[in-house]
Amino acid sequence: MRYWQWFWTVSLVIAGTSFAAITAVVTLRGFADLREMLKRLLQQKDRES
Amino acid sequence: MNFTILDWAIVSGYLVVSLAVGLLGKKYIGNVAHYLVAGRELGTYIGIATLAATEIGTITFMYNAELGYKYGFSAFAAALISGFVMIIIGRTGFVISRLRQLKLMTVPEFFEVKYSRGLRLVTGVLVALGGILNMGVFLKIEGEFLTIVSGINAKYLIAVMTVILVLELLYTVLGGMVAVVITDFIQYVLLSVATILVSVYAVHHVGWANIIRKVSVTMGAPGFNPLANPKFGVTFIVWQILLWFSIHTCWQTTAMRMFSTKSPETSKRVMTWTGFIFLGRGMLPMLWGIAALTLFGVGALEKGVPLPVVNGVTLTPIDAMPAMLAGMLGPGVKGIVIAGMLAATMSVNSSYLLGWSAVISQDVILPTRQVMGKPPLSTTGQIWVNRLANLFVGLFLMFWGLYYTPPGAVYLYLNITGTIFLAGAFVCVVGGLYWKRVNTTGGYLAMLMGAAGAIIPFFFLHWSENVTGFAAFGLAATGLVVGSLIGPPTPNKRDPSSLVSATPRTQ
Repeated sequence: MRYWQWFWTVSLVIAGTSFAAITAVVTLRGFADLREMLKRLLQQKDRES
Repeated sequence: MNFTILDWAIVSGYLVVSLAVGLLGKKYIGNVAHYLVAGRELGTYIGIATLAATEIGTITFMYNAELGYKYGFSAFAAALISGFVMIIIGRTGFVISRLRQLKLMTVPEFFEVKYSRGLRLVTGVLVALGGILNMGVFLKIEGEFLTIVSGINAKYLIAVMTVILVLELLYTVLGGMVAVVITDFIQYVLLSVATILVSVYAVHHVGWANIIRKVSVTMGAPGFNPLANPKFGVTFIVWQILLWFSIHTCWQTTAMRMFSTKSPETSKRVMTWTGFIFLGRGMLPMLWGIAALTLFGVGALEKGVPLPVVNGVTLTPIDAMPAMLAGMLGPGVKGIVIAGMLAATMSVNSSYLLGWSAVISQDVILPTRQVMGKPPLSTTGQIWVNRLANLFVGLFLMFWGLYYTPPGAVYLYLNITGTIFLAGAFVCVVGGLYWKRVNTTGGYLAMLMGAAGAIIPFFFLHWSENVTGFAAFGLAATGLVVGSLIGPPTPNKRDPSSLVSATPRTQ
């Protein structure tokens, strides 16, 4: 049982840390991605009309 | 009422901003590909945000917390499998890379490419049925969460959830995937902040040593070791591996994100990094459930686990986590957390509305029109069919979702309703992409036997979820292999490049 306790504790720390780290990176860089996507969508729409 | 004016201001502010930003999406819609797959312009970071937001909702927090409450740390096995399988798929590109090359918009569309239009129709019906039944329990459970945490009188539950659904419908119907992606970004940030806040609060408030002690005393070894837990064991683990491979590759809402990425390489990166998020998506709310067990688990035993008792009232295990949040979070923080949970709710619901309605319009209505010999619809016509299907799904959910109560653990109900189509769809997609011998007969047998393998054992024979899951995947695979071996293989009608020119609407 002790082995499983340690295993789940380490897994939880890894899961929590990676969740927080990826959130920080995506928050900072996702906005630029979003703007790029909208710009390209307008270009696509203009080309088709 | 547990809410202060500050909490209300935060939640109202979020709803106004979300709706306004979502409505902006409409001006970017020029054709069906814009409406359903955002013109295939998703980059890595926005791809991660929208995929994570789509698959993390209040419903996810609720069912994972319920699993944690009932099965302790053993439940973490399910979270670990979901995350690792996603990382493996992302690293290898298994299925997703080839599907992305085909420039599809829905999963059943592949069935016409590889098999036949008839099989696409059958698959479309099964996917829509399983998906809508799956989503059918969301509203009620999400409503329970909101009423318990905010303290709103339960008699206003239907009104509150109707208002939320109408807001989601407004921007999803008008702006399609573009509106969903824009709102998903804001919602992802908010729900992630709320998730981290609640996790820190839960451990700080309840105490890690107390959490470990409670699980040890209440459940013993099965509370930590999934192999020793009668609900899990080897069969559960193998079924979960199969199920998560099929969900991450063939679940319409996940697949739509892959179809929306800029390239197959981008789809692999999005899948890999979201896999790490999926570890936390499962384990963190499970931890909240275990913390709630530690605080409130003093009632009568139900299947060996004490029911939660809050202020002298016995609750069901699924309501223990929101009851804990109601008592634990202070003014302001509660508003942020509720806004985060609302964000989670809206991101999932809007994506699911779009996903299932896309199947109804693209794989049921439009092919049926073709079979009936009617002329193809214009771009505007197709977008309107999608919007009407969206509205139909929304209205159905409003009535079904608020009144139906699922039997047993919600996580397992969701797994089984998903398996109705996932078993057959996964087997057909993998066979269609990687086995030259497959044919349409095998495809039909796989879809029908997979669906029968999920419905009959679970709903009529009352077998366990694990055995039902095995039966569904086993029967689907048998159907595909036997059907394919007794007939000639279906020739590869199109390679990815010719597919694009052969179906101009698949832009």
